[in-house]
Amino acid sequence: MKLILTGILAGLLAATAAQADEMVFTSWGGTTQEAQTKSWAAPFEASSGIKVLQDGPTDYGKLKAMVEGGSVAWDVVDVEMDFAIKAAKDGLLEPIDFNVVPKADLDARFTTDHAVGSFYYSFVLAWNKGAVSGEPAGWADMFDLTKFPGKRTFYKWSAPGVIEIALLADGVPADKLYPLDLDRAFKKLDTIKSEIVWWDSGAQSQQLIASGEAAFGQLWNGRVFALEQDGADVGATWNQNMTAADVLVIPKGSKNKASAMKFLAAATSPKSQAMFAEASGYAPINTAAKAEMPAEVVKSLPDAYVDGQINLDMNYWAENRDKIAERWYAWQAR
Amino acid sequence: MSGHLLHRQPILRTPDGIGGALPALILIALFFVVPVVALLLRSVTEPVPGLQNYAILFGDGTYARVFFNTFLVATVVTAVTVIVAFPVAWMLAIMPPALGSIVFGIIILSMWTNLLTRTYAWMVLLQRTGVINRTLMDIGLISEPLPLINNLTGVTIGMVYIMLPFMILPLVGTLRAIDPMTLRAAALCGASPFDAFRRILLPLSLPGIAAGGLMVFVMSLGYFVTPTLLGGTSNMMLAAMIAQMIQSLLNWGLGSAAAFILLLVTMALYALQLRLVGAKRMTGGI
Repeated sequence: MKLILTGILAGLLAATAAQADEMVFTSWGGTTQEAQTKSWAAPFEASSGIKVLQDGPTDYGKLKAMVEGGSVAWDVVDVEMDFAIKAAKDGLLEPIDFNVVPKADLDARFTTDHAVGSFYYSFVLAWNKGAVSGEPAGWADMFDLTKFPGKRTFYKWSAPGVIEIALLADGVPADKLYPLDLDRAFKKLDTIKSEIVWWDSGAQSQQLIASGEAAFGQLWNGRVFALEQDGADVGATWNQNMTAADVLVIPKGSKNKASAMKFLAAATSPKSQAMFAEASGYAPINTAAKAEMPAEVVKSLPDAYVDGQINLDMNYWAENRDKIAERWYAWQAR
Repeated sequence: MSGHLLHRQPILRTPDGIGGALPALILIALFFVVPVVALLLRSVTEPVPGLQNYAILFGDGTYARVFFNTFLVATVVTAVTVIVAFPVAWMLAIMPPALGSIVFGIIILSMWTNLLTRTYAWMVLLQRTGVINRTLMDIGLISEPLPLINNLTGVTIGMVYIMLPFMILPLVGTLRAIDPMTLRAAALCGASPFDAFRRILLPLSLPGIAAGGLMVFVMSLGYFVTPTLLGGTSNMMLAAMIAQMIQSLLNWGLGSAAAFILLLVTMALYALQLRLVGAKRMTGGI
């Protein structure tokens, strides 16, 4: 019933969006979407005259329902890159028109036929200074309950990150992570399972760490950046930071495809990417963006911490997403 | 006592036509029956035709655990709700009507407050750095925060609070219908207050307990928001698992199968309730 309702609502929304020169941008809410609205949507509206309506949070189930139901209410969606690779394979996405979206300066790591980068980020180890004595140095410390007691928080959904963290902590060298040894990872995670609090949204991860409800955790660097900007008493280390990316996609059957392509061109331009990076603490996916940014902002981005940085393998994840997810949720439910 | 029951006249007659109910029936057909059929079809056609989704659900230990958890939570919540609701309902039943309607109003009012708001309020109260744990630690009763959230305790507290009105309302109806003289008679015959409760009040209020209890149980089975926010991943319930299959795994065949099983169980329990309590009592007639 929810799906049909969603479909009808989506249809109504799409109908209203199609009437005027409008399009719908969907992202994850919170400080990230605020920054996207300010840095991408607002200048784009001013220059193109196309109104950008904001929706969210991103929901892969809804996206699939819209495409299959033939009433697509979202024109541009911010999704995780491994999902985008899988969704393209499942026929849920429109191919990108690179005649409209200039490709030359886009970071090739985050560009595919059906997606352009949105931003890229690192998972970093962050902690509440009042709740942790000493400074954790790397992921292994999150598994040391005697040296660092307290709750630790990890990303709840099956996605690149936590499995890799467990393997690194268990002594797997960074260049030998893939293919992932799931047995070994879950065995390692078992040792701290009772102390794990899961976060399922960026805002929740911030709240858990800022309040000390969790002593430390695996956070998106932009969320830590926002906490620091707010003056929260948090520490973080870039040691073993893990990069992953969000990408922008157009769901198959988008009613405003032409506007959406123009939006992608604007959002990935050096200037928009620089503005967003400055506002969010996430890294630009346009290699020309750095020239547009103040030096101290460049210094605060994942780009500045490539030493010991680990690139999470999006293609591996896209390939094994379902298999890993099944085991992940079964393990969580135990 | 049975005499006046026999002479009671039916107040409402069954209406002859269904004309007036037609809009509602169409709405239900369109927005309930059609989607349910679609759901059933999906569960036996995706990814390939067959019963494999049901085989997976019944054959896998993880899903068995989620089913078990779901029934465990619903049972615990129902039991605690009955225990907490009974004294409140009794108080309401014997209160002067003017005062009773004020208390009644407060209980109803709580039902009108947004569910999410109420659940988030519990998060603030129950978490490790929350009001309850801080207070208990400040007055020195405990040295470590009690684990009140992300577990069965949190789910039970949050859900009992939400379910209470659904238990209290039918129970008050039953209790009000009990002749207070029966309790006085018991006392006169030498029964202690506890005996009077156990042998007179409790048996007479059983229809109300059964009606409210089954309602709470059935509602608890499909609950999503409160268990998701106040429970941990290891007490996952069926509704959360279905959401995960639909939203995260995009495995709609499996999700539909799980949803269909939940629907069947719910309807079976409802049928049971009809047989045990009778439709008239459930709909308010005593």
